[in-house]
Amino acid sequence: MRRAFVVLVVVLFGLVFTSLVIAHNERHSLRPLAESYVKLVPQELGAPNVITGILLTYRAFDTLGEVAVLFMVAAGVGLVLGASNKRRKSSPRKVVETARLSSEIVQSGAQILAPLIAIFAAYIIMNGHRSAGGGFQGGAVIASGVLLLVLASTRYRIDLEFLSMTESAAGVLFVLTGIAGLIFAGGFLDNRMLPLGQFGAFFSAGAIPILSVLLGVKVGCELSVIIDRFRA
Amino acid sequence: MAELIGSILVLLGAIFHFSAGLGMLRMPDAYTRMQAGTKASTLGNTLILLGLGFYHPEWSLKLLIIICFVLMTNPVSSHALARAAHMIRIPMTRRTTVDALRATRQRRRSGK
Repeated sequence: MRRAFVVLVVVLFGLVFTSLVIAHNERHSLRPLAESYVKLVPQELGAPNVITGILLTYRAFDTLGEVAVLFMVAAGVGLVLGASNKRRKSSPRKVVETARLSSEIVQSGAQILAPLIAIFAAYIIMNGHRSAGGGFQGGAVIASGVLLLVLASTRYRIDLEFLSMTESAAGVLFVLTGIAGLIFAGGFLDNRMLPLGQFGAFFSAGAIPILSVLLGVKVGCELSVIIDRFRA
Repeated sequence: MAELIGSILVLLGAIFHFSAGLGMLRMPDAYTRMQAGTKASTLGNTLILLGLGFYHPEWSLKLLIIICFVLMTNPVSSHALARAAHMIRIPMTRRTTVDALRATRQRRRSGK
């Protein structure tokens, strides 16, 4: 009976996916909006990665909103889980002691991997304007490194105060950069307030790398705070 | 020539991946399945990335870094998973003869 049901589900999935594959026909030309973006971003903004160019310039206001949404999530998680933590606070020592220590292999693996993950995150963030990557992705990688450290060592304590300070500073600087764009260039978060530089170089595309770094720091801090909230 | 070597390496890697999948299906309990999945897929990944390196020599540094990363992370993660499975007493197959981890733990407990 169970096997028949499994086979039925598999066949149904197969039908759904085949119909999707059959119905798919590739567009050989871009839509007009996409075409104008593909042309405009390298020309106006000097960024080879069109998507980061759009996200941090034309749609930078949306990005700011997304970061705000992430901040709401962090605040909400803190509100829900922070209260239950306080109740348990009567015996925080006990929680740490009874928590099972992770094995030596995991601990030393985490010690080796954490710096590598941090380097990789920096690479992703700093190359956002040149190739795939950017602030959000790099921030998520930072948070995954923090998660690894938390998993590897129960005694590892995240400095929440430092994280929230850094996060707020990054957010304020992001908005200030936007206002600087308003003053020195065409509008809020316009990247052309700094020289565009050579196309495809490391320091190029105006303010996009700076915005990317600020975004990465902010997202990394927020996600790390969320991860820490889930600790028992 | 380089392309031929690259293709053979990728094919070998695919065979190892296939055997990993087969092991997942055929092995009797969680631990043996885990070791089939980890070892075979680590080697398969390495071979496929090496083969790609023959195809695109300009990627070789990045591919080497990825290989190192996989070699470091894959065993550690499967070790952590297997240990966690042992901790919550997921049963082993009846044919298991040695359980070194349980023996060590019992010795340590009686030593206390």
